[in-house]
Amino acid sequence: MQLQRYLQKIWLIGAIFLITEPAFATQAHNAPEGLYAHQLAHIFFIVSMGVLIYWLRERKLVQAVGWRYIQYAALFFILWNLDAFSVHLMEEQIPVIEVQRINPWEISITAADHSSALTWFYYAAKLDHLLCIPALLFLYFGLRRLLKETDTKTPGVIQP
Amino acid sequence: MIVTSLPIWVIDIVGSILMIVFSFLCLNLVRALRTRDQSNVIWTYLFWVILGLTGFAVSRSAGHILKQILVLSGHEPVWSTIRPYSGAINSVMFVFVASVTLFFERIWKIYRQISKDKQELQTVRDELLFVNQNLENLVAERARELAQSEHKYRRIFEVSRDMILVTRWDGKIINMNPAGYKIFGYRDTDVSFYQKSLADFFANPADWQEIQKIVERFGFVSNAEFSLRHREDKQIRVLVSGSLDDGLPDREPTIHFLIKDIEQRRLVEEQIAQADKLASIGQLSAGIAHEINNPLGIILGYTQLLIRNEPPETEKYNDLKTIEKHVRSCKSIVEDLLNFARSSKPNEDIIRVDEAIDDVLDFIQQHAGLEDIEVQKNYDASVPEMLLDEKKIKQVLMNLIMNAKHAIGKKGTLRISTGLKPSEGQVVVKIADTGHGIEKKNLARIFDPFFTTKPTGEGTGLGLSVSYGIIKNHGGDILVDSEVGQGSTFTIVLPLGLPNSRIRHAKINSYHR
Repeated sequence: MQLQRYLQKIWLIGAIFLITEPAFATQAHNAPEGLYAHQLAHIFFIVSMGVLIYWLRERKLVQAVGWRYIQYAALFFILWNLDAFSVHLMEEQIPVIEVQRINPWEISITAADHSSALTWFYYAAKLDHLLCIPALLFLYFGLRRLLKETDTKTPGVIQP
Repeated sequence: MIVTSLPIWVIDIVGSILMIVFSFLCLNLVRALRTRDQSNVIWTYLFWVILGLTGFAVSRSAGHILKQILVLSGHEPVWSTIRPYSGAINSVMFVFVASVTLFFERIWKIYRQISKDKQELQTVRDELLFVNQNLENLVAERARELAQSEHKYRRIFEVSRDMILVTRWDGKIINMNPAGYKIFGYRDTDVSFYQKSLADFFANPADWQEIQKIVERFGFVSNAEFSLRHREDKQIRVLVSGSLDDGLPDREPTIHFLIKDIEQRRLVEEQIAQADKLASIGQLSAGIAHEINNPLGIILGYTQLLIRNEPPETEKYNDLKTIEKHVRSCKSIVEDLLNFARSSKPNEDIIRVDEAIDDVLDFIQQHAGLEDIEVQKNYDASVPEMLLDEKKIKQVLMNLIMNAKHAIGKKGTLRISTGLKPSEGQVVVKIADTGHGIEKKNLARIFDPFFTTKPTGEGTGLGLSVSYGIIKNHGGDILVDSEVGQGSTFTIVLPLGLPNSRIRHAKINSYHR
């Protein structure tokens, strides 16, 4: 009797999984989602750096040189994110720029309305390392200053 | 528009490499910061931010470099396969760094709170350390201060001239200072007063109950005068102050007494009062004597004139002689009163006191007899000649020795001594007898004029008054110490010091006589 009951339960569970049609309950993630997630990450990064600058200034930490440099680093990271966000926007999201490689050392940039300004803006925006490298440099100098002040036990290393 | 991609390519490759380099340099710095102070949450926060940035820099830069290499080498399809992974990792690293960065304010608050707590802990730790390190010194210092304080109060207790006494509520003595022993006539080594009842030392036993009542009602007693019993069965007048000490809950209450011996002060006050009284009587007597002396002189003169013209053995002659005798008696009394009142200036003779005493003793021996009285003389040879009224001093000695003779009665001892007190500039003459003594109630009156204990007709009561007046007139004093049944001692104190010129002048006068 008991064995019979077990067999009935197994049959029922098997029927549920094998006989039923697909319901498509999970959402599909197609190509644009990655781009949107990346762009949102850029915005999130900008916001968090803005918040950091706000608190550094609110707590008057920027009176210390080390923290002031870190503030500048955050500012450059914001600029770099804006730059990268713009490039992604122009290249992939809208898109208003079309880039084609002519040969290894030349590229063709075509703006949607053949705007020369937009083309050159895109070209300049592609040089985004000119913004993120200064950001890291300021971060490096800021941390070095904090370390130095910590070693010399200067009062107010962290305190405003 | 066709443009060169070289700047983009160079900046991308170099920038990517620099990003990796600088991110690792930053990571190295923040690790160094953490190493300096691992408990600092700010450094920990920065470490995670930089770690995220480094991860991002590596993923992004590696992606960019790989892209450039693959595209230039003609492997673009390969890059197309890798690209989604690189972009996804970059996005994740973005979000990670941004998320961690957002915690800055919270981390900062935690850091401040930890710093504050740390500071407080440090302060407490420093204090504890200080206390711990200096506990021994502090204890030693406190013990030293306590010992000094104890010593100070112990000294007050020990050297106080007044009695300091601690008793239980029922009067049982717990502690008494050396002055207390002295007031009672003991030495502190003689006897222990511990657990003896203070009530037993009051001359009047009811006094202790009175003190208890006052202390019970007010909590203290202040400057109340009582009499205590001395070891030698005499009474000492004292001022008693005391207060109740309820003490600690587990200790029975005690009473702390401060007892001041005022016996000497009271005696001096009594002597001053006696002297004032005698001075007043003397003033009155002198006034009366002056007024009576002149009429008496006239009565005596006329009486003597009448006697001269009256044949002897007649009734009128005898009446006049009786008048003359009584007038002379009156004049003698008036003279004594004047002596007592010190109205007359004493003569200045240079005499030796011991010789004056011997003269008086010889005179009494011849006229009154001292056969059954043993006379003990103890003269101090160092007593110098003195500038005194010889006649009046002898009168004083006569009065005192005759009083002693009467007090001794038939048999006894008469001790006469002289002594020199150079430090005080005094010569002391003591006349002591083994007679019946003077009752205490009469002691204050013996120098009063006309006070006598002799039967009527045997004494005028002016002997001691006159003696007192004479001695006072010499700038001295006369004292008496007497006990009933034991005898009396009269002490004459005469000043020694006289200017040399006055002595020389007196000597010249004496030689001229």
